[in-house]
Amino acid sequence: MDPSEVEFLAEKELVKIIPNFSLDKIYLIGGDLGPFNPGLPVDVPVWLALNLKQRQKCRIVPPEWMDVEKLEEIRELERKEDTFTPVPSPYYMELTKLLLNHASDNIPKADEIRTLVKDIWDTRIAKLRLSADSFISQQEAHAKLDNLTLMEINTTRSFLLDTLNCMYKLRSNLQPGSSGGKAQDHQ
Amino acid sequence: MPGERKPMRYGHSEGHTDVCFDDAGKYIVTCGSDGDVRIWESLDDDDPKSINVGEKVYSLALKNGKLVTAASNNTVQIHTFPEGDPDGILTRFTTNATHITYNRSGSRVAAGSSDFMVKVVEMYDSSQQKTLRGHTAPILSVTFDPKDEFLASASCDGSVAVWKIEEQTQVTSWPLLQKSNDVINAKSLCRLAWQPKAAKLLAIPVETTVQLYQRDSWAQVGTLSDDLGTQAINVVAWSPCGKFLAAGSIGGLLTVWDVESKLCVERQTHEKGYTVCGLAWHPLGGQIAYTDTEGCLGVLDGLSSSSSSSSTTASSTTTKVSLWSYMEASPSHPNGLDKFVDDDDSAIVPPAAAAAPLWPVYDGPMPTPPQKAFQPGSTPAHLMHRFMMWNSVGIVRGYNDDQDNAIDVEFHDTAVHHAMHLTNSLGHTVADLSQEAVLLACPGTDELASKLQCLHFSSWDTNKEWMVDLPKGEDVQALCLGQGWAAAATSALILRLFSIGGVQRELFSLPGPVVCIAGHGEQLLVVYHRGTGFDGEQALGVQLLQFGQKRRQVIHGEPLPLSRKSHLSWLGFTAEGTPCFIDSEGVVRLLNRSLGNMWTPVCNTRDNCKGKSDHYWMVGVHENPQQLRCIPCKGSRYPPTLPRPAVAVLPFKLPLCQTTTEKGQMEEQYWRSVLLHNHYGFLSSSGYEIDEEGQSQAQKEQQELLMKMFALSCKLEREFRSVELAELMTQNVVTLAIRYASRSRRMALAQRLSDLALEKANQLQGEEPQEEEEEEPLQYTRRNTGSHRQAQEEVVDEEQGQEEHMDEGDVAESKRQGKSRESLSHLLKEGRVNPFKVSSGLGRSGSAGGQNRVTNVLDSMMLSSKKPTALLSSSGSTGKLNKTPFLKPLAPRPKTKTQSTLLHMNTPKAANKKAVEEPAVCRLKQTEAPPPASPAENVENKKHKSGFQLWLEDNRRIILADNPDLEETDVIKEAIGRFRTLSADDRLTWTERAKGQSGDVADMKKRKRGEEENRGDKNGQSEADETRQSEADETSAKKKKPFDTSAKLSAFAFNKN
Repeated sequence: MDPSEVEFLAEKELVKIIPNFSLDKIYLIGGDLGPFNPGLPVDVPVWLALNLKQRQKCRIVPPEWMDVEKLEEIRELERKEDTFTPVPSPYYMELTKLLLNHASDNIPKADEIRTLVKDIWDTRIAKLRLSADSFISQQEAHAKLDNLTLMEINTTRSFLLDTLNCMYKLRSNLQPGSSGGKAQDHQ
Repeated sequence: MPGERKPMRYGHSEGHTDVCFDDAGKYIVTCGSDGDVRIWESLDDDDPKSINVGEKVYSLALKNGKLVTAASNNTVQIHTFPEGDPDGILTRFTTNATHITYNRSGSRVAAGSSDFMVKVVEMYDSSQQKTLRGHTAPILSVTFDPKDEFLASASCDGSVAVWKIEEQTQVTSWPLLQKSNDVINAKSLCRLAWQPKAAKLLAIPVETTVQLYQRDSWAQVGTLSDDLGTQAINVVAWSPCGKFLAAGSIGGLLTVWDVESKLCVERQTHEKGYTVCGLAWHPLGGQIAYTDTEGCLGVLDGLSSSSSSSSTTASSTTTKVSLWSYMEASPSHPNGLDKFVDDDDSAIVPPAAAAAPLWPVYDGPMPTPPQKAFQPGSTPAHLMHRFMMWNSVGIVRGYNDDQDNAIDVEFHDTAVHHAMHLTNSLGHTVADLSQEAVLLACPGTDELASKLQCLHFSSWDTNKEWMVDLPKGEDVQALCLGQGWAAAATSALILRLFSIGGVQRELFSLPGPVVCIAGHGEQLLVVYHRGTGFDGEQALGVQLLQFGQKRRQVIHGEPLPLSRKSHLSWLGFTAEGTPCFIDSEGVVRLLNRSLGNMWTPVCNTRDNCKGKSDHYWMVGVHENPQQLRCIPCKGSRYPPTLPRPAVAVLPFKLPLCQTTTEKGQMEEQYWRSVLLHNHYGFLSSSGYEIDEEGQSQAQKEQQELLMKMFALSCKLEREFRSVELAELMTQNVVTLAIRYASRSRRMALAQRLSDLALEKANQLQGEEPQEEEEEEPLQYTRRNTGSHRQAQEEVVDEEQGQEEHMDEGDVAESKRQGKSRESLSHLLKEGRVNPFKVSSGLGRSGSAGGQNRVTNVLDSMMLSSKKPTALLSSSGSTGKLNKTPFLKPLAPRPKTKTQSTLLHMNTPKAANKKAVEEPAVCRLKQTEAPPPASPAENVENKKHKSGFQLWLEDNRRIILADNPDLEETDVIKEAIGRFRTLSADDRLTWTERAKGQSGDVADMKKRKRGEEENRGDKNGQSEADETRQSEADETSAKKKKPFDTSAKLSAFAFNKN
């Protein structure tokens, strides 16, 4: 999957906006939205929120977790634990990117949040690499990773699968040969 | 009884502080190292008045409305009190003064300074000074002899000296203290205190004890000490009666001694153990205010007599014996306040002092300081960044900091107007905002009069602004905007009305100082002080005025019912125009117009708060949908401007009993629904457009709830209660209830209900003619009355006889429509057109008002626009059309032009009228016609006719021919009688016929309708007819859906058997 596709999926997430126009309920295939009352918060999907924001029709209320203190806590926890900790939203990376790119004026301390989320992301990706490395080096048949988000799986999927394929090929070529090759492989 | 130590609060920034009371004891006045003097009305005063007197304030003294402060600029300044205006400089030193004090009468001030000098200055003439030289280090403190002869001073050189003021000579000196080089380094502040009144003793804090020196002999006569006092005493203060002495120490220990017995009667420790550096007795005794070096202010309250009497055995008995009639008049001293004041006699008081005039102490309820005028939806004016107004239209923010003095106006709906930024050069403090204008006002100053400024942005000419100067000395205190008018209440107790374009209109006097005013549409709500409240209560009065066509006063200054010991915190109207207010306890009250304009509590916002100090700050109330829009404020009453607070929505909840039970819940729902839909009646009666659909929805909801409650009480075998509930129901629902009762084999109940139904029918019948009389003048053309009309009505009634009650409104509407059209277009009058058949289908399309169906083309256009549009693009326009009242400018619609207003007004009455014929038919249906298989089906087949009705249709003419002067109900009665006389077989055939017919009823209708249309207007626009009909059918099919719930309910009733 393409990162843009994952992002597309993330746009289905609901976010609170404060519209500055009034509109009755709108009926869409995905569900009813609204009614929109100026000044009154309402939940809409991210795609609509961003669209309205670009047209200066609303202010976006950042999700609760998009807060410096909370993210700092998450970051510390993520750094402390060896395993993956639960993330505030299954689309935290995508949402951060989307909202900060389009509505940074509605989000207090946008720069700090950007850095924090990037920190969390980096920590998690590093963990993912480490676990992939140990997975391969220990020649495990399967591994279980909790609390991974779609985006994170996606970043590693293509590379990991290709690598595994490649290694499989190499190994199967080695098979007819002596056990020495295998011994080498084990190291 | 030990004194009550109230929790301390921050008053100043860290550093040295001082405290005193004003002469009356009404205010606590503090000063601190932040250079401010603060005037507190009480310890709970969240908004003390601040006077900046310098960079740092070392000491202060207050008497006769003159506040004297020692500031860091080496001067001793005078300010007026409580205004805080600078009133000159009393004296100067070469370095800062450390302590200042008044003499007893307030005619002189003594000041000690770090430049080793003590000055005594006359208040009336600051050039008359006496300088006392002799100390060899900075002065720590000074105190006057109450008899004005001597002055005592303590200095860092370790000595305490007594001076003869007139001669400027030292009388005596004691080396009591530890030496230091500056006040900051001194171990103790050593605040001296001379016993008031008797002037016999001088108290000097020395280390952990207080030494008492006798006047004239200057010999030490006693030492007061406390075993617990381990740290040096900083300050001492005598009680106003001179019998008790309070001391505050470095470690935060507060001790009160009975001086005569030298016993400690009160001991309190500072909650954090900070050094007490300021101490003052309340002028009436009973209370001690103290401050610490961390800038906190505390109060020790309720210092009682019992504690003293328990410790001072001998003297208190003498006191009791020798005390005067006053004591006997009030034998119990609940708070002991008077004890400190009146106990002038005792061993240490000379007999002369006993004759001193008594202080008559008032013991009853204390008056509450009246609440200040405020603008609902604003945060306090002293904040640098504040909301000047937050309402349903937008937000007005005021900034008043170093760089900027500005006002920002922002609209929730940018379609109203773009945001505005104004420089606030006039210093506006109050604001209001409406869809039409922004209204601002500033208080007057010495040079400039109070001004009212209006930014009329919706004006169509180029002048978008006007300004009005108020007469000199008159300040705007509250203002509001209505539709097309503005109002301002002033300090001269005048309420001035202006048109929105700036024309001065009516003005009238207010019965009391205004608290706040609010406007909506053509209503003005004024709350003012009716009088003085006592014991924390406010005495507020309220007036509700209505302008426009019907100018009248709706509420004539009745008391505003606030919660106990609370004040008003928000006042306004719901979006639908019902007056509403909130008090500081968070209780929301709504005007109940149906109950003689009483106020009904509808919600307590504090119930929704998590923390004790959390509050909700109201920004708007909506009745439909039921919403309280407010901003949650964590730990405060007001929201900050940044970060921008988010609005939360709270539900209404009437404080009914036992809302945890099913019964309570339903009762709450029912009464809430009734209360919150009162506005329909008001709106329609004052000529506004109303949401017809919402109204019928609400009625349906109420009837459903009643039916549920009915079923519940039936289940609980509460038949009497069931009948009570049935009394609240409408006619049709009663018939449903009858059916339910008879199905569940409660024949007695059913019997009572049918009696009730009959009674209701008669009642309505009785009312009907009257009502019609009343309606007459409202209509622009008189209906022609007579048999023609009657005949028409008969047809209608017959047709609709079996319809569910939900349709009542619509049916009635269509009936009205028919009638008014009848008078409007004479075209249709001839040829016996029955317009009702068409409209019965159409009326149910639920379209709100404005169905002026003179031509069919118009009609079909109307309908297509009413279709629920799902598309984003088109719903934009519909959204504007039938929006929630949030946006909708509630324009009164001219009655003469539109039919809709007319129709709506008549609707409920008409509905009732229709119901008259209902019971007869229904009851008959029960007995004669085979009951429908299920009520659900009954609902679906409501177009079907019973056998009786078919028969009636055929035989009506015969009956009428026989008895031409019969009323409609009589006709039916007669018909019932005749139908009964028919043989069973005959009846069966009629019923069979009815059943057979029911299948293609729709088709028949269509045909009939088409024919009529063609006959009626000879234009032959059959196409338009077709479309309209199909649409009508569609919509009617849709409209049936909402019946499901009630249908289910009654289905449940029937399935039980």
